[in-house]
This record gives sequence, C-alpha cells and structure tokens, in this order.
Amino acid sequence: MTFNGAFRERVRNAWVEMRENLGRATLQSLGVLLGVASVLGGFSISDSMRQRSKELFIRMGGLDKLNVQPSAAIKEGSPTALQMANLGLRNVDAAGGEDLDPKSVTGVSIQKQARLRVRSAYADQERDVRGIGRDFLAVDGYEVADGREFTQRDVETAAPVALLGSEAAGVFFPSGNALGQTIRIGDVPVTIVGVLKERVFYFRKSNRNMFRWRNRIIAIPTTLVTRRFEGDAYHRLDRVTFRIPKIDAMAAFSKNLSSLLKANHRQQDDFRLDDVAARIRKERSQGDVYDMIFLLSGILSLIGGGIVNVNIQMASLKERIREVGVKMAIGASGREVFKEFMTEALFLTVAGSFVGLVAGLGFSRLITYFLGIPMWIDPKSFVWAFALASVFGFVFALFPALKASRLSPMEALRYE
Amino acid sequence: MNIVETERLTKTFGTNGVAVHALRGVDLTVARGEFLALIGPSGSGKSTLMAILGCLDSPTSGAYRFDGERVDGLSGPELAGIRNRKIGFVFQQYNLLPKASVLRNVELPMLYAGVGRRERRARAVELLERVGIPEKAKQLPPALSGGQRQRVAIARALANRPVMLLADEPTGALDSKTGHEVLELFAELHRQGNTVLIVTHDLSIASMAQRRVEIQDGRILAAEAA
Repeated sequence: MTFNGAFRERVRNAWVEMRENLGRATLQSLGVLLGVASVLGGFSISDSMRQRSKELFIRMGGLDKLNVQPSAAIKEGSPTALQMANLGLRNVDAAGGEDLDPKSVTGVSIQKQARLRVRSAYADQERDVRGIGRDFLAVDGYEVADGREFTQRDVETAAPVALLGSEAAGVFFPSGNALGQTIRIGDVPVTIVGVLKERVFYFRKSNRNMFRWRNRIIAIPTTLVTRRFEGDAYHRLDRVTFRIPKIDAMAAFSKNLSSLLKANHRQQDDFRLDDVAARIRKERSQGDVYDMIFLLSGILSLIGGGIVNVNIQMASLKERIREVGVKMAIGASGREVFKEFMTEALFLTVAGSFVGLVAGLGFSRLITYFLGIPMWIDPKSFVWAFALASVFGFVFALFPALKASRLSPMEALRYE
Repeated sequence: MNIVETERLTKTFGTNGVAVHALRGVDLTVARGEFLALIGPSGSGKSTLMAILGCLDSPTSGAYRFDGERVDGLSGPELAGIRNRKIGFVFQQYNLLPKASVLRNVELPMLYAGVGRRERRARAVELLERVGIPEKAKQLPPALSGGQRQRVAIARALANRPVMLLADEPTGALDSKTGHEVLELFAELHRQGNTVLIVTHDLSIASMAQRRVEIQDGRILAAEAA
C-alpha cells in the first residue's frame, strides 16, 4: 500500500468519523470558522474603504503631487519693501522648480484665487474665481467638455477669457450654450472659451457628489487675477503644484525645491510643502490600526475557539477514550490514533476555514452594500486568514491528539 | 504447535511501595485449535492475564511466546500490529463504536491492517452473514439487541483472520438464552478450527470449553480437561 493510498484512506476515514460525530465536529471547527470570518470580513471591509478612498484621490487628479503654499514668514511688525520684494510664491518659483528635475516633473499648476462679483444676463453672484495657469486642468483632473483650454498666450497677455465648471455654466447660462458668451467678472467683460466636463464621485451610494464644489469653478488666467483684481506688484500666487509620478524622485525633489525657494526668498520660510502622497499614507496608517484590530479580534476568536475546541475534546474525552481504547484493542497503534486525530483536525480546519471564508466575505459584502461602496479584498488577507487558521487549528489539535495517542490500551478500555 | 506459551509471567501494579502482585508466575500453554476457558473469581488476576495474553499489556517479568514469537518486551506499535492481525477480541460490553454503522465496525480492524476498501467491504458483509446478522449492516450498534451487538463484535474479532479469539466474559451482559446462543457461536467457530480463549467466572460457561484453567491469587490452580 502506498503512502498516498494510506493517506487517502485516512482522510476518508476522518471524513466518515466527522459525519458520525457531526455535533462535536461542528463545535470544534467553530473557532477556526469565526477566526477566518472575522479576519477576512474585517480586512475586506477596511480594504474596501481604503480602495474607495484611493479611487477618490486618483479621480481628484492623482496622489503624486507636491503642493507649495505661502505662509506668513514675518510674524511681527510690517515688512520692509525690500523684504516684500523677495517674498511670496511667484511664477518664477514654479519655473525654477520645474527646472530642478525636468524629467520627473510631469506637470506644474499655478493658482491665484479671488472672491469677485460675477454677472451674466441670468445671474449675479459673488463667487470664488480661480486664476489658473500652466497645467492646472490636467493636474487637478479637469477636462474640457466644450471649447478649448487657455493658451500660453492667454496667460501671458492676461486675456479676458474664462472656463466654466458645469455647475457654473448652468447657473450663469441656464439655457445652455455658455460657450462664446460674455460674463462680467468684477467690471471686466470676459469671454467664455470653454466649459468643463461635469465631475462626479459618490464615495458611498447614499452620499452626495463629493466633487460637486469642483463643478462650481470659474477659471480665468492667473495673470488676469493678479493684474486686474487681487494683484500686487509681484503677481504673487496662492499655490503651485508639481506633479511627480516617480515616487522615489519625490523626496529629493521636495528637499531641493525647499532650498531653492528658501534661497529665492531671502532665506525666509514663507512657504510650506505638502506632499499629498505622504499625507494620504499617513492618514491611511489609521486604516492600519483597524487592520490590527481586525487581526487581533481574529486571533482572539481563534484562541477562544481553540480553547473551546480543547474543552470539547476534553468533555468528550470519556467517550473518546473508550473509543481510542477500542481502536487500540483492534490494532490501532498510538501513532495511528495520533494521525487520526490530526487528520480530523486538518479536515475541521479546512472546512472551518472554508465556511469562515464564505461567512467573512458575506459579512463584508453585506456591510459594503449598506455603506454603498464596492467590495474589495486584498489577496494578502487570504494568506493571513489561512495562516492563522492552520496554525491555530493544528496547535490546538496537538494537545488532545498527543494525549490520546499516549493512552495505554488497557487504561483506555477500562476508562470510566 | 502452541499458540500461547508463557513462562513464570508476573505482573505487579502500583508504585510508592504499595505493590499489588496481580500475577505471581503463570505458566500456561494453549495449543492451536483449542477451546480454553480461563476461570477465576474477580480479583484473581484473570483480567490481567487476559490483557497480557491479548498483547494489551506487557508482563513485569517472565516470557511470553505468542504464535511462535517472543512478544514480551515488544514496543507499543509492534504489539498493536499483533493485536490487529493475530488476535480477535470480544468484550463483555461489546465495545463497538456507537456512531459507526455495524458494517464499519466490522471493517475497522481491516482498515488498520491496510486492507483495500472493496475487499474490506466484501469481507465485512461475509462476516456478518457468518455470525447470522447480515441484515443489520447499515444499522448503528445502539439500535441492536445485546446478542446482536455481541455478534457484531465477534464478526469484528474475526475480521483479520486472527490466530486466536480472546473473549472476556462475552455473555456477562446477556440473558441466559442469548448468552447460550453466543456461546454456541464460539463453539461453532472452534469447530471450524479457530483457537478460542474465554475468560469467565461462570462455571457453566466454562463447561462448554474443551479445557478449563483456574486462576486464583495470580497463580494457575489447576488445569483439567473437560
């Protein structure tokens, strides 16, 4: 008889014995079942949430961005004209930053915001008007639905042109056809050269569109803002954004950019850098805490289940010892008994894991359904769950199996 | 040729100074094909002797030759192999697996002997016919009467064609009529050439045997032919 044949025989026997003692087997596999279910279910729920927020950030224009924003450097007293001259974020900073690593920087966006009165034949509102330049649309994830983007010449000459978000277009031109029309921003008549595509993202089905405020955008060239509205002599900007898809390049770039800006700004830290990916990673590390909790609860239910398992084995020991005695009397060796117990444990672990898997995924499906997000699971979670289950399934099976295998046939037969 | 040959077998239980001498030098021979009754009151050491003869336990000292092979001092797995292939046990309390079908109970020794599934099944069916309860194959032992259960146990004992059947008070839990039927079955098996050793305290049962051996206080008192 080959090893495989003997093994198959043992598996078949274990299967039969499990069916004969269904109640006991069910209780025994419960621990593994709950452990796997809780690890997989928990992981899957947190994975789904994480996956959803990752998607959100990608839809927001990507994570691979470094924002530069001004911050007050001179805290007390009024700055001298000379100090002022070299402070603040300007277009030259954007250009200088791009030149630092032209290969890694795939996009630069500049912004300058102003709160202005906007009028058309249909509406008259106070609105945030955004001055934009360079690759703003691409970096922020906007696309033109109708018309065209700003040309370089538009920005250089501070041309009176505007792009409207879908909401803004709807408000100021409710009958549609905003393209080519004129709106008044402040006192300046501005021609609408393009309408942007509506942006939609529902984090959860029941939520409102998270991007609805993005559709409110009214964009004009940065130079138009700085020259005609909120301008100062230096054409300062509110924000410069660099897109750097290569993650490895980010750290070096942000360091170099920092020293470049400091040198340009009279050694003043009048700006701050915001590495979006790093920030998101940090925020996401909170998710890791949840993972730890789920893992821990999985481990705890496995331990609890294991103890229950051992307990059940001990409780049914009398019955089992007699059984072991009978088996030994008719020719089972201790090793045989041990293998029988362990094969049964293997079975229960596999079966428990499988049911646990179904239960965990079902649980996750239910929760994500109610959250209104797509369900997602990291393949690594399966590895975790099954590793835990097999470790606990076997560790806790070992003790009763060893005990049973070491019984002497006479004692076992006479056990009362 | 003798199946069983023992020489000055002793068995001492207990530690910490309180020694119980269950066997004090037993010399016993059982020939092939014999029907032997081992009788004695409770506490006489007959159960201990039976356990040693059945390779369930090892003697403290002395020699035991079973089927031409020294078995005192063999390891656990080796003894298990001998019990499996050469000895068929029948117990007073039947000792069937209550949740396994009658058929599977009979198959079990063959499972441990590595007999293939089909052959196991066929032989189990054949054995159940031989003990007269082929129709009970699919039932569970608790659904059977005492006599039927003991027949299942006998079928199981015969599974691997043992060289000796060892029965410990096989009628102890049965009424006299059923008990008699079971004894008849043993007698029948003996006539077919099996070596049968029955351990009992009941002299009327012992009277059915070919030879009676009486044990008291761990020693063989007398051996007489029936």
